[in-house]
Amino acid sequence: MASESVVLQRLIGWVAAPEVDWDAAYSEQLPRVYNFFRYRLGPGADAEDLTARTFEKAWVARHRYRRDLGRFSTWVMTIARRVAIDHLRSRKNHLPLDEGMDVASGPSPEELAERRSDAARLARMLVALPERERELVSLKYGAGMTNRDIARLMGLSESNVGTILHRTVQQLRAGWDDAGG
Amino acid sequence: MDERFMRSLEQAPDPEFARRLRDQLGNDIEADAEERPRARWTPLLAPAVLVAAIASVIFFPSVRASAQAFLDLFRVHTFTAVSVSPDRLRQLQEGKLDLKTLLGDSVETVQEPGPPHPAASAAEAGAAAGIMVKVPGTLPAGLKPDSVSWRGAGQVRVTADVERLRALLDALDIRDVSVPMAIEGQKIDVRMPAVVEQRFRNEKRTAELLQAKSPEITLPTGVDLAALGEIGLRILGLEPAEARRLAQTIDWRSTMLIPVPGNAGSFRQVEVSGQPALLVTAKGERKDGSPREGTIVLWSRGDMVYALAGNLSNMDLLQMANSVQ
Repeated sequence: MASESVVLQRLIGWVAAPEVDWDAAYSEQLPRVYNFFRYRLGPGADAEDLTARTFEKAWVARHRYRRDLGRFSTWVMTIARRVAIDHLRSRKNHLPLDEGMDVASGPSPEELAERRSDAARLARMLVALPERERELVSLKYGAGMTNRDIARLMGLSESNVGTILHRTVQQLRAGWDDAGG
Repeated sequence: MDERFMRSLEQAPDPEFARRLRDQLGNDIEADAEERPRARWTPLLAPAVLVAAIASVIFFPSVRASAQAFLDLFRVHTFTAVSVSPDRLRQLQEGKLDLKTLLGDSVETVQEPGPPHPAASAAEAGAAAGIMVKVPGTLPAGLKPDSVSWRGAGQVRVTADVERLRALLDALDIRDVSVPMAIEGQKIDVRMPAVVEQRFRNEKRTAELLQAKSPEITLPTGVDLAALGEIGLRILGLEPAEARRLAQTIDWRSTMLIPVPGNAGSFRQVEVSGQPALLVTAKGERKDGSPREGTIVLWSRGDMVYALAGNLSNMDLLQMANSVQ
């Protein structure tokens, strides 16, 4: 009987899953995907382009969504992760995003104001993180995912995700405090 | 300082951007909502699945063996359906039981299966999953191969918690069964091997064939499985006499029990390639009130388990299942 707890989830779990309401899914997931890119790549204009690319890919591949293998939000974030990786690969020689924005056009008054904001400050700190830590933070605080869903998405254990996140936030907190936060 | 600073980069998308992208996707989304000719799967089995999961998770560690005991190894070879009480499912749905609290930390994920991996072919997916993949020789109703994917093995460890089980029984007003203290703290490992899925579709219909090695369950020996199964069936809402009769006839070491809500589905035993199989049909409604229906057939062969699900007719589904070679 215990086998049900696993096998039912895997073999007929998708029987139990409701249809995807794409309109509702778009409204719900758009801010998550958009903020994932803000945390993952920085608060530049790329976040909108990459968000649009993610939803276009999701729509084209909608028939491939497997409801038994995970929630819709997790599936969309799987696509978003790939979009981010492709984007980073295509900009192999890119400068860190906050620097890149300056070089491109020079800071506007608004950008200068933002640079002084907490958001820009956090963005600069995130740039210094290793890729894995930055991705975890992006999924947790940008996409608002649970540790369990992040673990599934990244193939890590839930406890490992919690440990890495805790350590990373502590590190960021220390840097924030040192900088006068 | 708390973690609020971690949220400081969060920002709502520009409404104009959100509207523009929505419009860009919009026509397609609305068209899809209007079409939806596919009688997709109903969520009506969901509570039953949940209940089964809860019951099995709680019950299987019901062992009386000492820590020195040998381990038993269980594998699924047969599937049996049981009609469960819609009232019990409603009771669970209405939140009269806080199942999450009842389960709590008694379930530990030992191995995450990871995300699904797309594959170029069934053979490639099989190689990655470590199984000899079979494919259907017949695709009825004009179905065409659509996609193939595989997912890695997963493993969970469950620790029995007598107090939680008692709380569950109390919440369900089941007073005539006792929970043996000997199960407290006992652990069980449930391993689900890697799964390969092949998906087929046409304009209106879909079918998915899943195959995997049989799930394995290990637990200390000395378990009175029939007694524990009886409690599990009571949790699913069966009457005491019926639960006792079924518990005594089911081979708990090799049978996966599929709970089907009495008001939402039907089931019958069939044969696939000469092997006993279970055909479950679930019925529900679309948002517009029109009926929808889906069917799944489950069978095993050797050390493999198979599930073929879709919105095909029973005849087409069984024809396809019988052609899996």
